Amino acid sequence: MARYGMALDYKNCINCKACEVACKEENGVELGAEKHRIWVGANNPEGQWPLLDIASVAFQPSQCQHCEDAPCQEVCPTNATYYDENHVVRVDSDKCILCSYCMNACPYDARYVDDRTMTVDKCTFCSDTRLARGETTTACQNTCPTKVRTFGDLDDPNSEISELLRTRDHFSLKAHLGTNPKLFYLT
Amino acid sequence: MKIGPLNIPIKEDFSLKSILDFERTPINMVLAVSVLAMLAMLLLGVGNYLIHSHHAYNVTREHPWGLMIAVYIFFVVSSTGFCIVGSLGDVFGFKDFTMISKRAIFGSIVTIMAGFTVIAFEIGHPVTMLIYNVLTPGLTSAIWWMGTLYGLYLTFMIIEFYFLLNNDMKKAKIFGLTGLLVGLAAHSNLGSVFGFLNARTISQGVYYPTYFILTAFITGIFLSFIVMGFRYKLNFDDKTKKLLEGLAKIQGLLISILIFFMTWKLLTDMYGGMPNRAEVAHHIIHSTPFYAEVILAMIIPLLVILKDFGRSPVLMFWASLSGMVGIFFMRYNLVHDTQVKPLQMMKHREYQLPPEWIHYFPSATEIMISLGGLGLCIALYYVGTKAFNLDEEH
Repeated sequence: MARYGMALDYKNCINCKACEVACKEENGVELGAEKHRIWVGANNPEGQWPLLDIASVAFQPSQCQHCEDAPCQEVCPTNATYYDENHVVRVDSDKCILCSYCMNACPYDARYVDDRTMTVDKCTFCSDTRLARGETTTACQNTCPTKVRTFGDLDDPNSEISELLRTRDHFSLKAHLGTNPKLFYLT
Repeated sequence: MKIGPLNIPIKEDFSLKSILDFERTPINMVLAVSVLAMLAMLLLGVGNYLIHSHHAYNVTREHPWGLMIAVYIFFVVSSTGFCIVGSLGDVFGFKDFTMISKRAIFGSIVTIMAGFTVIAFEIGHPVTMLIYNVLTPGLTSAIWWMGTLYGLYLTFMIIEFYFLLNNDMKKAKIFGLTGLLVGLAAHSNLGSVFGFLNARTISQGVYYPTYFILTAFITGIFLSFIVMGFRYKLNFDDKTKKLLEGLAKIQGLLISILIFFMTWKLLTDMYGGMPNRAEVAHHIIHSTPFYAEVILAMIIPLLVILKDFGRSPVLMFWASLSGMVGIFFMRYNLVHDTQVKPLQMMKHREYQLPPEWIHYFPSATEIMISLGGLGLCIALYYVGTKAFNLDEEH
């Protein structure tokens, strides 16, 4: 029993997209631009061409925020979306009816339709793959060359993520919506 | 009248022959061919869906709800509207409105059945839904409440119609009132499906759950003019004129309230300055479907009513046809506008700008199934007029 979360030192991201590839490979996510559990967001450079401010470009890796109060879970008519014992937001594909309400309710655009099962899929923090094999890291974390991601148990005061959140300022995305995300962006 | 199975009174001459037996006027022939074409489209659309699954639809990750959700809402709003109009006479006892009760309640049954048909092909796993709606109900989900209450509502409407056919007005009143309350609850829950979307600030809030009831009543009155227009071939007797004049006056009031509500919704959206809401509202008022909604469902019918305070039932029939097209756009706009703003997670493909607005246009399959739903609704209603006496009995 844990309460898994992830801290992202996002300013270290170099947009190599190795995390996207590792996630697809590890979790068997379908190919195609629309089918992704995680992604690297990027803003546009400021200024007018050719005087673009390259330094203004920032990358923001993101994924399901595994909210403590997940809107996707609240709106699911069949409880197909649920919190597992480690507080990870999961989808039981046997119960999913593909009404797509969760896709509309998620403020983070973190859900997509898996065409093989025709049900909604999302990040599981590698619960079915790496964590099930006893490993303690996620695929995206493990592959990141600049060590952007730190995954761990928020309830364990000695975990690396707890230490990071104690010692560094951080923010959450769209926190004003009251979703209590468990992804933390370090500043 | 002969007594059919389960003690249901059926017209003496009801048979396949009576269904095919109608006056061969040009307008009737056009209608018959159109309905058959729409039913053929339903079969074709469903066939395409069964082969290609949701790939047959133009819904995407960014725009997961499409035309068929809008059409489902269109039909269930129509059903609730019919139910409200039908209840005026047999539940609330307004004598002038009793003559339409049976027809309106039957209309509420066929429209919701058409809606259920369309949504069955939009939901990815309708059978799973029936099982897990019961086994693991999501009580915090507006869709669960909406679906469950609509199922109950249909049951009550069928029972009420049964008692109306048997002229048992006391029991019809009991089931009519229960059905009306359950229908209103279901319908406002449908509004809350959008109202609970905190991620979509343009729809979030109390507006839609209440607005849905108002627009249902308006839709019900439009449909009443249409069904009565066909029943009397636009040649109304005095009693029907009195009924329609009353309905037109109520409609004038309801449309005025709707315009008032919409004006304030748009003003607060546009000038409230709330992020994601203000720019979407500006986008909406520059879109063509918004004007289709306003002109066809509000301006034209209201002008016709104001012309002589609803005393022109024939003109109101045509205004109601315009109104129903406008109501369709109202539903389409509701669904599309809710999703039109990207969720701003800084996603974009390399070397391209992130999308400013999400585009959606329904696929041929979505259009065919939606039109098929309309064809099914008209066909069921037509068969009902042949099988049952939908006029008031004295």
